[in-house]
Amino acid sequence: MTCDDLRDSYELYSLGLLEGEEKREVEAHLARNCVVCQKHLKDAVGVNALMLSQAQEVVPPSRLRRRVLASVGAERAGWEWVAALVAACSLIVALWLSLEKRTTDRDLADARQTLQQAVTERDRLDQAFTFLNQPETRQVNFGQGQPAPPRGNFFLNPRMGVLLIASNLPALPAGKAYEMWVIPKGGMPRPAGVFQSGPQGTAMHILPGAVDPNVTLAVTVEPDSGSPSPTSDILFTAGF
Amino acid sequence: MLFRLIPVSLALALLQVALRFKDDGDLARRLRERDAGAMRELYDRYGRLVYSLILRIVRNSAAAEDLVQETFLRVWNRMQAFNQERGALGPWVLTVARNRAIDYIRSADGKMSAGAMELDHLEHPGQFCDFEDRALSLDRARRLKDAFEKLTPHQKTVVELAYYEGLSQTEMAERMQQPLGTVKTWVRSALKVLREQLTEVATV
Repeated sequence: MTCDDLRDSYELYSLGLLEGEEKREVEAHLARNCVVCQKHLKDAVGVNALMLSQAQEVVPPSRLRRRVLASVGAERAGWEWVAALVAACSLIVALWLSLEKRTTDRDLADARQTLQQAVTERDRLDQAFTFLNQPETRQVNFGQGQPAPPRGNFFLNPRMGVLLIASNLPALPAGKAYEMWVIPKGGMPRPAGVFQSGPQGTAMHILPGAVDPNVTLAVTVEPDSGSPSPTSDILFTAGF
Repeated sequence: MLFRLIPVSLALALLQVALRFKDDGDLARRLRERDAGAMRELYDRYGRLVYSLILRIVRNSAAAEDLVQETFLRVWNRMQAFNQERGALGPWVLTVARNRAIDYIRSADGKMSAGAMELDHLEHPGQFCDFEDRALSLDRARRLKDAFEKLTPHQKTVVELAYYEGLSQTEMAERMQQPLGTVKTWVRSALKVLREQLTEVATV
């Protein structure tokens, strides 16, 4: 066969599909380094490449890239990748649990504080009821008949102390508090404890311990750390 | 069908292929130097094309993934035999991919592996050197597509059986239940149409 006779055989030869006599002829020409056939073969390889490049494109799964690159050591292997992912997830879970624990601890501390406040308030109320139930406790009210004054009652028990229950107390600026004073007849005011009003302008304050039954009680506004003697006008007062 | 493609995406794909084929010299040099980054670039350049071609042949995504891996591994391991100055990386990678897929379906059909050694020889990197600049151009790819569209149904069938199913002319004749001589005529005439269309470009 001549080179021209073989012209249509090189694509199939290049694809490994040529058979029989034609295949032997092509191989014989190539073995002789036939320049024409070398050129035909080169052209055929080019045609085949262009044909193969025109398959309808399909997007491969992204994992395939990792797998291929891992197989030649150009990227971490699949299981290492999974291990890294698991480690990252574990770290996230640990951080989440840590944050959750901190939140839980904070909630628990808040609950304990609330409980402590409730217990303290209950003890104060118990103390107040005990105070009020004593037969020797005497009561004096204040602020009655005024337009919008603080009003309320002082309860004095010579053995147990003084109980103040007040309402309509004005809101105080930051750093200020109410301070109660015990003023003996002919004597100087003695500090009897500081207290704050509640959100509705109410307050209950107890001065525990024995008290002279013939005293005057008064309340002024003072620094919230308390004063050794009054530094402002009397807000309200009552005498026994 | 072979060219059942969306025109715009086809044009883009062909453009990408032509550009890839043309600028592979530096990539080939880095691959020969065992540069892992070059392997990532090679996959990014040809991974989709290789997967598409192999999937078209084996029609099984799991097998296609195995064969894509095998293709790139083979290219990586044989890179030292590739001529970085004169070689055409794209045609070589595609030929390796096609041969791996054909070998797979032939093995699955119990035809293993009379042609395996032959395929191995025909995909030697030395076969993919010294292409003319225009040989793998975008214009030629378009011409080839147009030429394929002009083929008769029988001609299209034999071309597809050759490229995508790896059937010899004898096997085509059995598959199509046609005389061998008739099949050879279809094959020769089809290849002639394709080649002449490309030759026209050269003379324009």
